[in-house]
Amino acid sequence: MMPWLEAFRRPTTIAEALRLMKRGGRRARFVAGATDLLVEADPAARILVDVGRLGLSYVKPHRGGWRIGAATTMAVLEQSEGMRAFAGGILARAAASSGSIQIRNRATTGGNLANASPAADLAPPLLVLDAQVVIAGQKGKRQLPLADFFKGVRQTALDGDLLVEIILPPLNRAAGRRGGERSAWSFQKLGRVESDIAIVNAAAGVGVDAGGRCCWARIAVGAVAPTPLRIPAAENALQGRPLDSESIALACEMVCREARPITDLRASADYRRQMSGVLVRRALEECLEQVAGDR
Amino acid sequence: MDSLEIRLKVNGEPRSWRVAPGDVLLDVLRRENYFGVKRGCETGECGACTVLLDGKAVNSCLVFAAQAHGCDIVTIEGLARGDRLHPIQEAFLDAGAVQCGFCTPGMVLNTKAFLEQCPQPTEAEARKALAGNYCRCTGYKKPVEAVMAAAAAQCGVRNAECGIRSPKNSALRIPHSALKRGRR
Repeated sequence: MMPWLEAFRRPTTIAEALRLMKRGGRRARFVAGATDLLVEADPAARILVDVGRLGLSYVKPHRGGWRIGAATTMAVLEQSEGMRAFAGGILARAAASSGSIQIRNRATTGGNLANASPAADLAPPLLVLDAQVVIAGQKGKRQLPLADFFKGVRQTALDGDLLVEIILPPLNRAAGRRGGERSAWSFQKLGRVESDIAIVNAAAGVGVDAGGRCCWARIAVGAVAPTPLRIPAAENALQGRPLDSESIALACEMVCREARPITDLRASADYRRQMSGVLVRRALEECLEQVAGDR
Repeated sequence: MDSLEIRLKVNGEPRSWRVAPGDVLLDVLRRENYFGVKRGCETGECGACTVLLDGKAVNSCLVFAAQAHGCDIVTIEGLARGDRLHPIQEAFLDAGAVQCGFCTPGMVLNTKAFLEQCPQPTEAEARKALAGNYCRCTGYKKPVEAVMAAAAAQCGVRNAECGIRSPKNSALRIPHSALKRGRR
């Protein structure tokens, strides 16, 4: 309950939503599933602009990839046939782990990103999928890589504008894929139980050629830095090498080195740092099993 | 403050209420005498305030009343038909899954939505489905048994409709043996 709220607006177009937001200035907030907003209950928020009636709930195929509306709930994402099949279903799996069904029926894809929690479960899989975000503002729409969207804890590139869509590029374009190559993907999460807020989460994607050599790699971790992170040093440690326990160990060492975790009520910084390496190892081992199984 | 009018259906009945912008669905339902909707943690952890919103289980403490405009709400008051309890309520009674009863409305409603989507769950699936409903009395063994028994009973009813024989009165009284069945 937020008894200090002065208005709850329910616009039906993006232009109207942006106008209401501009008029409200610092007192206005966008609201989607409200699962974070009502828990945070910011006393500075006086006007809410609901984005639930803007037609932003969809998962559509798009040029070999996918477009996901920002108001698509976690439950819709996890149940989407397309998302369960795309890239080993890592995005659907991450969505399925993000809270109880009561939460997943309300919490949205866009909210998970716009809230900019370092532990957002959708962020590592979206980062390894080279996702782009589409933002609607007064001057029109702009598109940027998700990696450039996160600016800090609870800080994004939105600046009062509205996240409207997430674009997943086709896998072969993202990876520069060639013939004879196998790809594999994994999502990993550490919590007391799966539906908890992540202590650490991670995602990985690899392409392996016929000779077992890693042609490309994508590695991302969450809850170990102010923003979810891609770890290029770990990706480079794999690229061009055989995907085996030796190269995986090297990549995990890079992940631990790049992690900048904090201590909080869920875990110590030290534990988080070590677990970031463990989760990436599990992710890469799962990928290795998949490519071995494919062969 | 701009108060709003919301029109919605609660347990099939059309309702029209004036709400404040900051009101959550939980408070409005209780204000309107739907006391089966329990106020627990008010932060979406415990599931005691679970209602069905357009058929989906949600925490009513985390839904603004204004967002329920035009929606179909089901509370625990909407399940029984007169004196006849809903088969899921019967299953919870038969399994001894009710102690103080505070978490029960949320668990029963969540189970209803879950079994509609997943009519023949495994026990692991049932456990995962109830992850957002906390019980502080007995734990989860009996509620999970109740979900499995309700699934088995529903399945029996469906088989009966198709002309397949099933235990007598399976929709109303679940034989103890049903508690051990119900695997996919």
